[in-house]
Amino acid sequence: MSEVIYEVKNVSKRYGSVVALDGANLKLHAGEVVGLVGDNGAGKSTLVKVLSGAHMPDDGQIFLDGEKVSWENPRMALEAGIETLYQDSGLAPNLTVSKNVFLGREITKKGILGKMGFLDSKAMEEKAHAELERVGIAVPASNRSVSQLSGGQRQAVAIGRAVAWARKVIILDEPTNHLGARQAGEVLEVIKEAKKKGLGVIFISHTLPHVLEVTDRIVVLRLGKVVRDAPTSEFTGDTLVGTITGTIQTIPEEDR
Amino acid sequence: MSSSQQPNLRLERFKAVAGSQNSILLSVLIALAIIFTLAEPLFFSVATAGNILTDWGSIVLLAAGQTLVIISGGIDLSVGGTLAISGVTSAWMMTTILGFDITTTGPDAYPPLIVGGLTAVGTGLAVGLVNAFLINKLRIVPFVATLATMGATLGFAIIISNGMPIGGPNDFSLISPINPTWMPFSWAVVGVIIVVTTVGLFLHRSRFGLHTYAIGSNAFAARAAGINVERHLTKVYALAGALAGLAGFYVYLRLGAGSPSSGVMRELDAIAAVVIGGASLMGGVGRMMGTVIGALILFTVQSGLIMAGVAPDWKKVVVAVLIAAAVAAQTLRPQNRAR
Amino acid sequence: MKKSYFKKAVALAGAAVFAIGLAGCAAEEEAAVTPTTDDTAVVAEDLTIAFVMGAESDPFFQAMKIGAEEEAAAQGVTLIWQGDPSNYSPETQIPIVDSVLAQQPDGLVLIPTDPTALQASVAKAVAAGIAVANVDTRVGDLTDVLTFITGDNEDGGAKAAEAIANAIGYTDGETYEVVIGLTSATATTNVSRKEGFEATIAASYPGIQIMDVAYSESNPEKASTNVNNWLTKYPNLDGIFAIDGTNASGAAAALQAKGLVGEVALVGYDAYPANVALIEAGVFTALIAQDPAAEARLAIQSLVEYLRNGTMPASAEVVIPNVTLDANTSAADLAKYTYVAN
Repeated sequence: MSEVIYEVKNVSKRYGSVVALDGANLKLHAGEVVGLVGDNGAGKSTLVKVLSGAHMPDDGQIFLDGEKVSWENPRMALEAGIETLYQDSGLAPNLTVSKNVFLGREITKKGILGKMGFLDSKAMEEKAHAELERVGIAVPASNRSVSQLSGGQRQAVAIGRAVAWARKVIILDEPTNHLGARQAGEVLEVIKEAKKKGLGVIFISHTLPHVLEVTDRIVVLRLGKVVRDAPTSEFTGDTLVGTITGTIQTIPEEDR
Repeated sequence: MSSSQQPNLRLERFKAVAGSQNSILLSVLIALAIIFTLAEPLFFSVATAGNILTDWGSIVLLAAGQTLVIISGGIDLSVGGTLAISGVTSAWMMTTILGFDITTTGPDAYPPLIVGGLTAVGTGLAVGLVNAFLINKLRIVPFVATLATMGATLGFAIIISNGMPIGGPNDFSLISPINPTWMPFSWAVVGVIIVVTTVGLFLHRSRFGLHTYAIGSNAFAARAAGINVERHLTKVYALAGALAGLAGFYVYLRLGAGSPSSGVMRELDAIAAVVIGGASLMGGVGRMMGTVIGALILFTVQSGLIMAGVAPDWKKVVVAVLIAAAVAAQTLRPQNRAR
Repeated sequence: MKKSYFKKAVALAGAAVFAIGLAGCAAEEEAAVTPTTDDTAVVAEDLTIAFVMGAESDPFFQAMKIGAEEEAAAQGVTLIWQGDPSNYSPETQIPIVDSVLAQQPDGLVLIPTDPTALQASVAKAVAAGIAVANVDTRVGDLTDVLTFITGDNEDGGAKAAEAIANAIGYTDGETYEVVIGLTSATATTNVSRKEGFEATIAASYPGIQIMDVAYSESNPEKASTNVNNWLTKYPNLDGIFAIDGTNASGAAAALQAKGLVGEVALVGYDAYPANVALIEAGVFTALIAQDPAAEARLAIQSLVEYLRNGTMPASAEVVIPNVTLDANTSAADLAKYTYVAN
């Protein structure tokens, strides 16, 4: 296996009196797709937020390429090459496709106008179109606002954005939600493409057949703890469900 | 992914322009002008245009700032109060501190007026920063926070001025049409147009404007994209405050005095202009040109009714109808015009 | 027995503590009840007079405040000065009156923002044994009101008509055009002044036509707008009667902006310092000045004398005359009648 590019050790996060994460560990290798599964309330979303820089953990460490890092805000993680697709896709509906793709990383005009922050909309549109096509997504004229697109198209744009910008890690939180079978299939293709490019992919999903199809390894969360971390080949549909709900007893990590 | 359609671009473009919010607003404006001219022929004159523009000048400054705030998903009820206190501090600076009074007129008044103008803008900026602090650090929702500053600014305006207008140096020619025969714009209005155009350019063409739309459209997405939402909102409210301060100075030029009662309820006019102009109070939608025309409509109605000799209470009815129509149009149309 | 003595002692001690606490609270209340007269010693005065006026932002009431504070200090009574900061309306005034009454003053000077709406508040005060006076405006039924002191608004309107007629050089047989700028259609002051103006015009100057009337809602910018539009609509306008201070400020500014100073006669009301200065500059033909400070002083004086000695005021309705300030007024008189603020 290739080297570990992203790792969290022993992270915990509390919201008030609710313990969302309790000493969770996760390792991600380059070119690997790790599935992150768990029941509602298991802590998946919280772990995503810790990985993406949206929230800081109360305890634990984060390592990128073996070096200790600390994300104080999402921008730091983005600049380090970690892209995240959040559950509600994280697009601004009133903005166009290209503006969404370049949000936070806009292309400015040359010269003094550029220093004042004036945008080169044409360049962004061309590039956005090109980038999305490159990762396998064709979107209609990118000067339409995102709210005019269908749910599937919006999801496609969000994923395309993540893949286009990602340099090291992509985290996809429920990317196939609200999608029809065909479109979901296309998302899985995108994931496979990203893996081929050598990115590390963390794939969170409720749809277990998808998880079994596209991941190399599966991490199961229950009540904030990792209860199983094993290659996908070791799971079947039934055993996966069982591990998630806890009917199949697992030996907790620290006791192995 | 999905196959892309090949729309008939020319037809789409025409539809977009004809049906665009701005075209509709312009049509309404022209229709109103026609109606009022029929009621009172003297309405169609350079003098009337000058009157309308003079009234429009202060409110469009308030409305420009309000456009940014509303697009960002917030609201600023304090702009009327900021207008009042900025006019008052400006007058106080020129009279009590610098020692001028109403006897200084014409170009002699320019030096103190420059200081007065800067004082007004500075006062407005300070109020805007207070708003930003209340909203960002104390986590008070914009409606409540700016309601509080509205009260505070109005109150301070009365306290500083003892409730009476503070007369000071002035050049009334700055606020009069440059040439009453054919040029209804005054130098002050020209200045306002330059300012509003600049703000509009930043809103529609710059990163600052894009981030404002993004935050109003989906604040979470903006944050996830790495935008520092708090810092950006500080800039937005500070700018709105500065523009309100400038409006306060404009009113000073108009009255030759800083008047504490000049700001009362003006924020409602500003918000009306922004809503009529097509912005959504939910955030993420709005255009500066829409606000500009919306404000023009408001004052065309005001002047038209006075010229036609109609009871001024009808103005409130007309404005209410316009706002209702604008909001209905907003709700019914799909969001086809991006940004 | 020991137990009952102990209980009694505790009860007594408790009562003592309670009484001291209550007295302390009352003392704090008294002190809190003197918000404006900072110079007065923090000793509970024997009488408290509450003064609920119209709108803090109106300089007319600011000038009244000066008189009220002077008289309260001279009489040695505590003054509670209250009123809406900027809204001249019964909706905001009634709750203010209620909270003032809850402080149980001995006397109440009320400037009712509406003659009918505030009647109930007056009845409430009287029922609580509080002596009530009205100033400037009045409630409909004055039966229980000790005294009503006002400027003579009709007289003011009449004086304004005289001033305008003089300024435009009225000659019989000629026609002239004037307009009236008011603040509101319902404020009794506005209505009376307009009526006085119209009556004098009709009786003595029938050649003057009142072309239009418009409202500015206490906002000088609106008054400016009205004048701008009038000057466009009536190119031969001869005179403007601005019926109160804020309206006069806006009208004066508009006239100056249009460069029509001296071409159009402008008569205003209320002696704002900024406007008084414009008499000399020729912008104002005349200003009709009231004496708000005198009105306030007389109101407080009447209440105090009634409360202390049971003396009924000389007259149930007192009218303080207006003064016309114009280019011929002496500097001393100008200074005397200008509305001074703190």
